[in-house]
Amino acid sequence: MQTQTIEELIPQLKVQILERLIIEGMDPEELDEDMPLFGEVTGLDSIDALELVVMLEKCYGIKITDAKVARKILMTVRTIAEYVYEHREI
Amino acid sequence: MLTDQTIAGCHINGAGVISPQKTYDNGDFLSELTYYDDNILTCILPNFKDYLNPFQMRRLSRMLRMGLSAATICLREAGLKKPDAIITATGFGFQWDMGKFLTEILEQQEQQLTPTYFMQSTHNALSGLIALFFKCMGYNSTYTSRGFAFETALHDALLLLQEKEAQHVLVGSFDEVYHVQYTDYVRLGYIKREKVNNIRVFEAETEGTLQGEGMAFFIMSDQPKPQTWCRLKNLHMVYRPSDYAGLAAELIEFLRGNGVAPSDVDVLVNGVSGDVVRDRWNLDLQNKYFDHATAVRFKHLTGEYDTAASFGLWLGAKILKTQTVPEAALVSPSPTHGPLKTALVCNHYLGKYYSFFLLTL
Amino acid sequence: MNRRVFITGYGVITAIGGNGPENFASLRDRKCGYGRLEFLETRYQDDIYCCEIKLSDEALCRRACVSTGCGFTRTTLLGLIAIREAIASAGLTDQEVRNAGLVSATTAGGIRELERHFFERQDLQSSGDFITFLDTVDPGEHMERLADILGMKRYLATVSTACSSSANALLLGARLIKTGLADYMICGGTEALAKITINGFNALMILDREHCKPFDQNRCGLNLGEGAAYLVLEAEESLKRSGKKAIAELTGYANFNDAFHQTASSPEGAGALKAMRKALNMGGINPSDVDYINAHGTGTENNDLSEGLALETLFGVNVPPFSSTKPYTGHTTSAAGSVEAAFCLMAFENDVIYPNINFKQPMEELNIRPTTALKTNAGLKNILTNSLGFGGSTTSLLFAKC
Repeated sequence: MQTQTIEELIPQLKVQILERLIIEGMDPEELDEDMPLFGEVTGLDSIDALELVVMLEKCYGIKITDAKVARKILMTVRTIAEYVYEHREI
Repeated sequence: MLTDQTIAGCHINGAGVISPQKTYDNGDFLSELTYYDDNILTCILPNFKDYLNPFQMRRLSRMLRMGLSAATICLREAGLKKPDAIITATGFGFQWDMGKFLTEILEQQEQQLTPTYFMQSTHNALSGLIALFFKCMGYNSTYTSRGFAFETALHDALLLLQEKEAQHVLVGSFDEVYHVQYTDYVRLGYIKREKVNNIRVFEAETEGTLQGEGMAFFIMSDQPKPQTWCRLKNLHMVYRPSDYAGLAAELIEFLRGNGVAPSDVDVLVNGVSGDVVRDRWNLDLQNKYFDHATAVRFKHLTGEYDTAASFGLWLGAKILKTQTVPEAALVSPSPTHGPLKTALVCNHYLGKYYSFFLLTL
Repeated sequence: MNRRVFITGYGVITAIGGNGPENFASLRDRKCGYGRLEFLETRYQDDIYCCEIKLSDEALCRRACVSTGCGFTRTTLLGLIAIREAIASAGLTDQEVRNAGLVSATTAGGIRELERHFFERQDLQSSGDFITFLDTVDPGEHMERLADILGMKRYLATVSTACSSSANALLLGARLIKTGLADYMICGGTEALAKITINGFNALMILDREHCKPFDQNRCGLNLGEGAAYLVLEAEESLKRSGKKAIAELTGYANFNDAFHQTASSPEGAGALKAMRKALNMGGINPSDVDYINAHGTGTENNDLSEGLALETLFGVNVPPFSSTKPYTGHTTSAAGSVEAAFCLMAFENDVIYPNINFKQPMEELNIRPTTALKTNAGLKNILTNSLGFGGSTTSLLFAKC
């Protein structure tokens, strides 16, 4: 299992998020790690959240089965990185 | 089928068509042709970025991007911010997304599935997305009546206008090429086994046609406008006519009920598909009743699919609007060269679903 | 033209009964069709509950009086069984059936059969059982089968608007009669369970691992079901000619779109509110004249909140008794609208209001609660039923007792 720090995970997650959500024409660095992912700016919705849940399972072996839990984890890129750091299986 | 005399017609005030020919530009009319050699005709796409930004496009399948673009082209053409109602039609829906979801289910033992594929595979995903995009809370439905899907949608739009439930109805059809359907249809003899160049499909004289795809959106309105293309006076559907005589009788009665004789038809848009077996009756109708008219056909340009009649509607409407007949579609010009005021689209799908659209200026 | 539309018959098959009387007995006796899957293979067999019809495809063929090996999909078989019951219950002659229009709804169509041989059939050289199912995937195929068996040609349509499909089929049929285009319409829908549906709803995280609890604070999703139901709609004039007695009149209907999200309903249920309001306006009645509401009530967090708020906004705290019958039958997706419309007709016939099973704790956001007891001698005159689907579809139907 990889042992990346949270700061190392952040840029990696940005790429993975944009890929999973098929957001084309956006530089990963443009995605602010502390900006709410599901707010007015991005317009991401509950299906995007589910897609990110699948991505977390595929890339890090993390299984999230509760939609409420998912919402808390997926608030920002940083909160995702923190969760991955604690709970990754691969 | 149901007698349609009580249905009032409507005005076609805009269109947006994406097809295996370059048709998304309303300023052009089949000036360049695209050729296909492997019996599968796929759409020539506009630049989606002209209609959608990266966040709006995220996760959207090719068909949904096409659908939003075609709807936008159509609404812009009609000068409308949003329609009052949205009705879509498809035969097979979103086959790629359904297939991708099913493949994941089978290969990944029902785990780590992509919810987007499922969501985007429901047949009304496009009509829902258009409603979302244009914030239209009005009547919204999707028909999947095989070779009558587009006709059902058009008929419903006419009904809505007559009921005064809407003034502008966005009606659109979509179907996509898909290898699983292609293989099934080759087995069934609906698609030719031998490879034929699309432009030469009518010379092949064999059973079966070519697989095609396309998207066609129209604004059907209760009032004419300066940009009106033409009027859709009425439509008629005939399911499994028992014989040619029965089909011909339905056509004549349909025309008569709308105050039209075959000799009044200036343009015949024939939905023959290159299937020598199933095209028979459409050819007989053309030869018997319309040899005075300008005859055009279109399935060599689009291939065949459940909702291909929509392309025929577009072709007939655009001929009337522009008073020009594109060389690419022309079978035979009329011996008399008068103004083109009345067009009749005669379509069939697999020799089972026959439909007529009557268009006037 | 503005003709009145009457219902003279119906047929229904679900996990709680193979016909109308069986379904009603189960509703009355609180017998639910909830259990483990037997006829569909999935890794979730021991994990989720569904309301599956406990009849194999072969048994359904026998009930539908068709041979096996002829490519009848389970969706079509269910439809055939229900439509025949509807025709018999309305006392339609063969000629009347041939003169009728058909609007049938499904979204799944033949995908259950496609799933079984998806990879094999892609190889042109291969052969097998799937050959009989070659042209059965698309939703419209079942419409063709029903039409060909019944000799119907006058008007054929298939609706696919996900969970509101068969409600929209009824709505279209009514409009065709109202405007004088038809005297008889047979309308409804059918849907068989499929792996794609189960996995789709599971991927959206809206399946309850236990028995669903509509409108309950602790609800966490739906149970999927399968079934079919058809109603026979007749114009007033043809009713007068035949002297038949109708069960109910379809006095109001409405179709709107929530335009909020591709699968979720708006938080305040704007689309549902518009649909219910318009149906009542069309029926010429006030909210206080409604005696019972058969809610869509799937048991998902989102639907029940959205629909609940819409009900409260329209009816206030004095909402009429309302319940969801989905704990009985599961969510029969495309068939739900017509199945629940059939239940409304049974409610009129027996003057009964169905309980909302599994309700224990009221939702914090709502001041209204569903009805939890079976009510007999209910004095029903007007019933409203809702069907809300993916793609923002919101449809309401209003029936008046005859």
